[in-house]
Amino acid sequence: MVLVWLLAIPLIGSFVVLFSGDRAAKGVAVGFGLIEIIAFVVLLAHGPADINVPWIPEWGVRFHLGADGLSLFLIGLTAVMTVMALFASSKTYRRSYFFWILFLEFGMAGVFESLDLMLFYVFWEVILIPIFFLLTGYSGSRGRPAAMKWLIMNLVGSLFMLIGIVAVAVLHTQPFGALTFEISQLTHVPMSAAVAPWVFASFFLAFAIKAPLWPFHGWMPDAYSDAPAPVTSLLAGVMSKAGIYGFLRIMLPIFMPQMRQYQTGLLIFAAIGLLYGAFMALRQKDMKMASAYASLSHMGMMALGVFSLTEAGILGATFLMVAHGLIIGGLFVVLGFAEERTKTREIGAMGGLNDDAPRLAAYFLFFALAALGLPGLPGFVGEYLIIQGLVAHDVVFAVIAGIVLIVAAWYMIRLFQGVMQSVRKGPRILDLTAMQVGYIGTLALLVLLLGVWPAGITSHAAPTLYHAVHLLATKGGASS
Amino acid sequence: MSATSTMLPEYVILGTLLIAMLGIMVSRAHSTLPSWIGLLGTIGGLWATADLWSRHLKPVLLFNQSLSVDNYSLFVDFLVMIAAGSTILLGWQGEREHDEFPVLVLLSALGMMTLGMSANLITLFLGVEILSLPLYILAASHRDPLGGEAGLKYFLLGAFSSGILLFGLALIYGATGSMTFTDFATAVSSNSPILAAGLMLALVGILFKLAIVPFHMWVPDVYEGSPDAVTSFMAFGTKVGAAVILLRFLAYGFYLSPDAWGPLLGYLALLTMIVGNLVALTQTNLKRLFGYSGIGHAGFLLIGVAVHSVVGARAMLFYLLPYGLAVIGAFAIITMISNGEKNVTIHDLEGLAHKKPWAAALFIVFMLSFAGIPLTGGFIGKFYLLQAALFAHQPGLAVGLVVGTFLGLGAYLRPLQAMFRHESNEQALAGWNVNWAQIVVLVVAVVGTIGLGVYPTPVVHMVNQSANFFWLH
Repeated sequence: MVLVWLLAIPLIGSFVVLFSGDRAAKGVAVGFGLIEIIAFVVLLAHGPADINVPWIPEWGVRFHLGADGLSLFLIGLTAVMTVMALFASSKTYRRSYFFWILFLEFGMAGVFESLDLMLFYVFWEVILIPIFFLLTGYSGSRGRPAAMKWLIMNLVGSLFMLIGIVAVAVLHTQPFGALTFEISQLTHVPMSAAVAPWVFASFFLAFAIKAPLWPFHGWMPDAYSDAPAPVTSLLAGVMSKAGIYGFLRIMLPIFMPQMRQYQTGLLIFAAIGLLYGAFMALRQKDMKMASAYASLSHMGMMALGVFSLTEAGILGATFLMVAHGLIIGGLFVVLGFAEERTKTREIGAMGGLNDDAPRLAAYFLFFALAALGLPGLPGFVGEYLIIQGLVAHDVVFAVIAGIVLIVAAWYMIRLFQGVMQSVRKGPRILDLTAMQVGYIGTLALLVLLLGVWPAGITSHAAPTLYHAVHLLATKGGASS
Repeated sequence: MSATSTMLPEYVILGTLLIAMLGIMVSRAHSTLPSWIGLLGTIGGLWATADLWSRHLKPVLLFNQSLSVDNYSLFVDFLVMIAAGSTILLGWQGEREHDEFPVLVLLSALGMMTLGMSANLITLFLGVEILSLPLYILAASHRDPLGGEAGLKYFLLGAFSSGILLFGLALIYGATGSMTFTDFATAVSSNSPILAAGLMLALVGILFKLAIVPFHMWVPDVYEGSPDAVTSFMAFGTKVGAAVILLRFLAYGFYLSPDAWGPLLGYLALLTMIVGNLVALTQTNLKRLFGYSGIGHAGFLLIGVAVHSVVGARAMLFYLLPYGLAVIGAFAIITMISNGEKNVTIHDLEGLAHKKPWAAALFIVFMLSFAGIPLTGGFIGKFYLLQAALFAHQPGLAVGLVVGTFLGLGAYLRPLQAMFRHESNEQALAGWNVNWAQIVVLVVAVVGTIGLGVYPTPVVHMVNQSANFFWLH
């Protein structure tokens, strides 16, 4: 039942916000966000959960929700980052803004909970709408075209995935009779060589655009840089994980033979994205843009972990999803603080904020170090596991990932130096308020906890992933 | 229960029609009495339909096999009642000075219901004509140049297509010697050239009513020139009538020779989906935009016919409902803005989100349903059509559906983004006017749209019982 409440709380909350006044909107929204976290704690205490009732029985569509080692912490990530974003949002925004944020939480929680393909698709597309309106109504000058780009690119992906979903279900009826959309039952769909690549591509495209992976990141730069900072932190921190999650949840079980077949190509793909993101991050003049490309590079890292098709790599990707969500989300919130105070995003126009705002600088440094993968912080754990997996598969990609870690240190330090150190250029600014320290500090503590105690996640995730990797052996033949 | 009492919904509408006509005679000019009678009549018709549905009757053939009353025709009755009732409500204020408005709407609805039951050539043609003639008058009922153009264009082209249809029906009769649909397939001369020519001509006539490319030229001008309420009736009701007769005509009469028409309809569906939605992208007048996107939706409907399967028939029948609900909802907002006086363009929507946030929110719901975004009925409809296309091994139709959806979304986004523009022009919402009738339509439309998206099971179940063409595979 907790699973349903995790969906119901943000949904009810969003409508309560809509019916409350503009002044009360933020308070009400934060309240519902906190209740959602309590619901998640209850879920955590109870352990794995599952709800399975018929939705459209004529088509075999079921309302099947579940939380296992793979999705449990992503649901938590959604709850935590939504509260962070709500706290960081300006009080002056109207209620429709808070409505859309909570509605987005509803959609993202749904994506991570769904175990039925049709249900998954419903939530997958529900996500598009709040982000479109947040970009249209509340972002900077380039927000409107960014919103269009976001919607059009993502819809191309997801509409073709819809064909893929129906095609998989129809193919399943040919030997098995009944129509079903259960992911666990679709793992044995026989696909002819003529059909398989198309169906595979339809899913791959949707997930790669959502993540985004190079070269499907066309919507990303404008959307990340022009959206309000809290929205960017949700986009980069939580929403982008839906793409990688799709690879793990849907493509590994259903398309394992194809994944094996195209493995080298997929790895090259991800590696190019990894390098491209890192080097683009190095030469950005806009601090949000630099972080956006850093995030693109990290998505490439996670994709490498998944495509290594080894236990360590997949476990690393799973862990890094949660860790990166907290870190990059926190980083964008901190960047939002800096932008709010200096009214600019140009690295060249900032500098020396350290003098006026030491607390801001400290949190900036913390999240920057976490993002570049400092040992002791969770980014390192995930990247270590991924590289371990890559070494097991093909050492070349491990070397590339290692090189990118060095570049990551470079672009993150450059960003920190540019914004916080060097010579002061603008007028004096205020440091973080106690309130802001309160929530960003909590997030930093969470990151620290994850860094020193990664087993909190990996011990939960490993059994689930063991199942996925077990499929590797049975479906894809022996490991090469 | 006697055979003719299964036609109770039709008799209710016929009776209402006559009473409403008497009502016009006894009431003062421009009174709401005829509208009240018409509205109560459609509610009575809905009740009669629901009553018949709940009895689970066996299909009956009436009047020498010319009308077939079954779940299929009852489902059509439901759809037509919703269309007619909402049209009367939308015209409550704007069409007040045209006392005959509810009468003509009900007469046209009677034609649609006849098409739902029709099982032979005579009732087919009668249904098409009863549907069309009142609409010709309604289209021209506003005596401005645009309305005149709309009426005349609709009448001339409609009469022309009726002629083609009639010629086709005559050839079919000549080739098979029978009027009844079910006799065609087994007729001795089932592959004669005369029968093929008759089929093609009859199809042209019906596809014209459904506004399939390349027989769609009349749609934009007629939609633009007609009063708003009438346009919503054309967009919903006419599509229902034409689509259901096309399906029954082919599924009953030509199920043994699907190769003669299936591929043709498939290609027309592709063409219609792409062209309709593509041209919709360039429109600024909202009624023209819905006209072209309606053409695109007709292409989606045609998928269900072209695949020639039970799933296809059910998918098409299902799709009519979310489409129609979104149409009446969107037109309710349009009538609020236009107040029956001006032609609403995208620019008239500017600033709507800030001045009338609730209307804007509802408009978003209807646009998303048109575009087929989940949690709205439009998505479930598209999902059903995709199943139909893929079960029939027609990935081309599936891709066409997706591309058409995608283009359509682009068209719907422009009004949406206009609503959020801050710099609204002064005259944008000058004529804003809301009455209770429009609110009733809005509530029905939004509850139906979201309800179908969240829990479609009851309607899916109904549709499965309706389009039970078991002899198709």
